[in-house]
Amino acid sequence: MTRQRPFFVQFLVPAVLVAVIFAAAMFNVLKYSFLEFVPGSLNVGGFTLENFTRINRPIYYWVLLDTFILSFATAFFALLLSYPISFALVRAERNWVRSVLVVLAITPLFTGEIVRTYSWMLVLGSDGVVNTALKSLGVIDRSVPIMYTRVGVVIALVQFAMPVMIILLATAISQINRDCEKAAANLGATPNTVFWWVTIPLTLPGILSGFVVVFAWTMSAFSTPQLIGGGKVLMISNVVYLQGFSSFNLPFAAVLSLVALFAALGSLALMKLLTARLEQNMATS
Amino acid sequence: MMHQKMTAITALEHSVEIKAVSKTFGAFHAVNNVSLPIRAGEFVTLLGPSGCGKTTLLNMVAGFIDPSAGAIHIGGVDVTNVPVHLRDTGMVFQSYALFPHMNVFDNVAFGLRQRKFSKSEVTRKVMQTIEMMKLSGMEGRRISQLSGGQQQRVALARAIAIQPKVLLLDEPLSALDKSLRAQMQVELIEMHRNTGLTTIFVTHDQGEALSLSDRIVVMNRGQIQQVAEPIDLYSNPANGFVASFIGEINALPAAIYQASDREISLAIGDIRMTAPRRPEWKFGSGEMVKAFVRPEHVRMATSADAGSNVVTGEVLTHIYQGSHTITRLRIDGLGPIEMRLPGGDVVGRVPVGMPAQIAFDLSQVILLADNPN
Repeated sequence: MTRQRPFFVQFLVPAVLVAVIFAAAMFNVLKYSFLEFVPGSLNVGGFTLENFTRINRPIYYWVLLDTFILSFATAFFALLLSYPISFALVRAERNWVRSVLVVLAITPLFTGEIVRTYSWMLVLGSDGVVNTALKSLGVIDRSVPIMYTRVGVVIALVQFAMPVMIILLATAISQINRDCEKAAANLGATPNTVFWWVTIPLTLPGILSGFVVVFAWTMSAFSTPQLIGGGKVLMISNVVYLQGFSSFNLPFAAVLSLVALFAALGSLALMKLLTARLEQNMATS
Repeated sequence: MMHQKMTAITALEHSVEIKAVSKTFGAFHAVNNVSLPIRAGEFVTLLGPSGCGKTTLLNMVAGFIDPSAGAIHIGGVDVTNVPVHLRDTGMVFQSYALFPHMNVFDNVAFGLRQRKFSKSEVTRKVMQTIEMMKLSGMEGRRISQLSGGQQQRVALARAIAIQPKVLLLDEPLSALDKSLRAQMQVELIEMHRNTGLTTIFVTHDQGEALSLSDRIVVMNRGQIQQVAEPIDLYSNPANGFVASFIGEINALPAAIYQASDREISLAIGDIRMTAPRRPEWKFGSGEMVKAFVRPEHVRMATSADAGSNVVTGEVLTHIYQGSHTITRLRIDGLGPIEMRLPGGDVVGRVPVGMPAQIAFDLSQVILLADNPN
């Protein structure tokens, strides 16, 4: 094996290093979750299960549920908004249209999260672009609160997630056999029917993976809910931050992190299960 | 029963009429002023090399491509501006284009459901078609569970289930291996006999065209070269392109040294022949023409052959193929010639490098004007 692939071991070194360091960090988080919190100190005490009992409070359930709902909403709206863009990106007949769409869709990826979030604060604030525009158009007479609301957080998260969603969907759309759409039209399907009964089902794998990736990604969102939510919209990462770096309760922060991690893994597993069944149903129905 | 029902659908003289259709892509004439009437129930093949415009023409009949000029009539109605989904054509794609997210039944039912048939009607028609295409028992199968030949049959079933006004086949056999292709040819012939559907078949394979078609349309560079029944096409090609494209043929330079209203005499190398003049032969004495001789019309000379029909060549190669042998010879002043003889005797009789005396079957020699087309 080493003779066939002479650099095999050397090439593995970086990956192994990253894996080892990551595992060590995760182990520390796990260790901290079982250690006693000493108020007013960064040091920790001995073994305890108290951190785990402390989590059994409604506030943390609500935060967890909120994180789920916000992540789900973000994935859903990102999908809804990205599909037409991806479709145009792949199918546009003029090259310049495709180029413009690629640039518009991908450039946000090269802007830092903080910069993007700050821009959204300028747009969504009570004197921001949206409110000013709506007021001058006479749609509203007083500023509508968007900043520090779930709506505002989701808007920013959706925009944050869209480049990735667009790339995943565009890949799926570009891979379908267009003869299938032609065949459907030839058999008498209207353009509408072709889209809903052929194009969408054929791109379903891309739709599902885009949804899952964005969902999982948003579960761990931090700076967007932190800045746009301003403490009024809390996602699990923000609570971890509050516990770890405001109260300096590192053991409890570790427990919350673990809960977040397993919640994310659990929901991914659940989605995988559901989509596997969905795909099977589609193939056999 | 199905047979009668389907053949009764149209009694029109022409099921499809292509009228002076052209398609240009920029400066490129993909299809150039093509006119072609197709009778109801006819199996017509568009044959030509890749890029000859045959697929573009088929796509214009289906409505996937708009003609730059001309009109297309289906069932007596001008459909030039009718969108694809209202044209009532059934197309089988080279890639089959089966719906991978549906099973065999739903694939075949797709077109019927678009036509708002009742559920029981859909089931009846689908099962009927599935039975005809020998797919019984596979209704619930997924497309990925089918072999290439089965997928091909599902694609055909899906197209004929809607009883289209015209069936369009876009190189449907090219993805199959050789033995399966031969078998599918037989099934295509049976399908056509059973349904009586007007069929346009696109292929670059002259063998397929010869064995399947009622009429063959040979195309090259966007234009029709000849429209003829297979036997007529093979024995009376209209021009050099058709002669060379259909079957194997030796193209030899020939000089006419005597021409009258009734006969012309010409020299093909050392061979001299006189043939009764055909009305399409416009050449006069002294002209150079092309003489086309098929390998099966070249043979070893015997003592019975007149000296004027015997020429000596050097054997270059023998290609033994079981039922026959293809022998390549070089003849001074004529170049290489292929001869096709039954069996393999010739391999021992005239070994490679030896001289051989050959003769032509003069009544089968095809004369055409000496120009590129």
